[in-house]
Amino acid sequence: MSNMIDPLGEAGLQFYSKVSASISHEIKNSLAVLNESAGYLEDVTLMAKKGMEINMERLESLAGTMLKQVQRTNGIVTNMNRLAHSLDDPASQVDLNALLELMISLSERTTVTRGFKVSAAFSDSAITITTHPFFLENLIWLILDFAMNITGDEKTIAMVPTKTESGAEINFTGLDKMTENAFNDFLTQHVRLILAALHCTLQPNENIGKITLHVPGNITHPVQ
Amino acid sequence: MTDKILIVDDEQDFLDIISDRLTARDMNVSTASSAKDAIKQIEEDSFDAVVLDLMMPEMDGLETLKIMKEKNPDLQVILLTGHATVEKGIEAMKLGAMDLIEKPADLATIVDRIKRAKTEKIILVEKKSEKRIREILTRKGW
Repeated sequence: MSNMIDPLGEAGLQFYSKVSASISHEIKNSLAVLNESAGYLEDVTLMAKKGMEINMERLESLAGTMLKQVQRTNGIVTNMNRLAHSLDDPASQVDLNALLELMISLSERTTVTRGFKVSAAFSDSAITITTHPFFLENLIWLILDFAMNITGDEKTIAMVPTKTESGAEINFTGLDKMTENAFNDFLTQHVRLILAALHCTLQPNENIGKITLHVPGNITHPVQ
Repeated sequence: MTDKILIVDDEQDFLDIISDRLTARDMNVSTASSAKDAIKQIEEDSFDAVVLDLMMPEMDGLETLKIMKEKNPDLQVILLTGHATVEKGIEAMKLGAMDLIEKPADLATIVDRIKRAKTEKIILVEKKSEKRIREILTRKGW
């Protein structure tokens, strides 16, 4: 059975299902707040019917809370939609700043739950490349997952995208505990397949706790 | 007698609203937005039940449950979760959780579980008292 599974597809599905589980948890949390808010309104209505005084300020703050939760859920669903559409075309133009911003949002629950903070130093101008967005997102997810095992005590990972002659690069810093062995272990079959499919390379620098991901400017015409 | 409960969740909005609603139902409600704070509160105070979110930053609900049970084996813990898997549910029960409720939950269900938890705690306390009395009677030879 396992021989029938395409490893690249399997890696993609694993990524997609992890993000879906995390997103559904976020939505459930938001729904729980909205559910309690509706329940609170029911309580207040019952109390008002019995002639009890209504705390208008509390109602006003409750309306604010509900609105905040609707906006939060809308943001979560919008991000999920962007991820789903990143599978539409095998090669499309993306702005690395926007892609990294999406990845920070999608991985937030996982990173925060594990006590980590992920940030990005976005470039002032767009860093446009032509790539397979879904697999690049998958690769960044895997790098972040690996990074969480090798960060320093500050538990902070920074991503810095820059434009290069051949395309772009993303520097992942804060990986103070990275060793050559740990990096080699990270290069699993899945990671190698994604790197090959995207024509990307990974360059570790254990001395300064940094990994550089080199991304070609155009996946359809990669510079060899 | 008022039910004394501790609600633990990293969603502050959820804590605020549910504590208002449970207080309106004559419950004495304390809240904690982190596992660390919750553990501190159970060390300093006694609760009829703890309603604990399974997924929290830094320390998840199962780990928190384990520590709480080590500190107070009689503590009645009801787990709340946004995505309960069968495995997590079994693990929670093995660690001594009284129940596991999926979010968003009906308040009536939560109240019912809190009442059951309190009854369970009273039975445990009574059993312990009875055991202690028997031990004293045996020792003194009365």
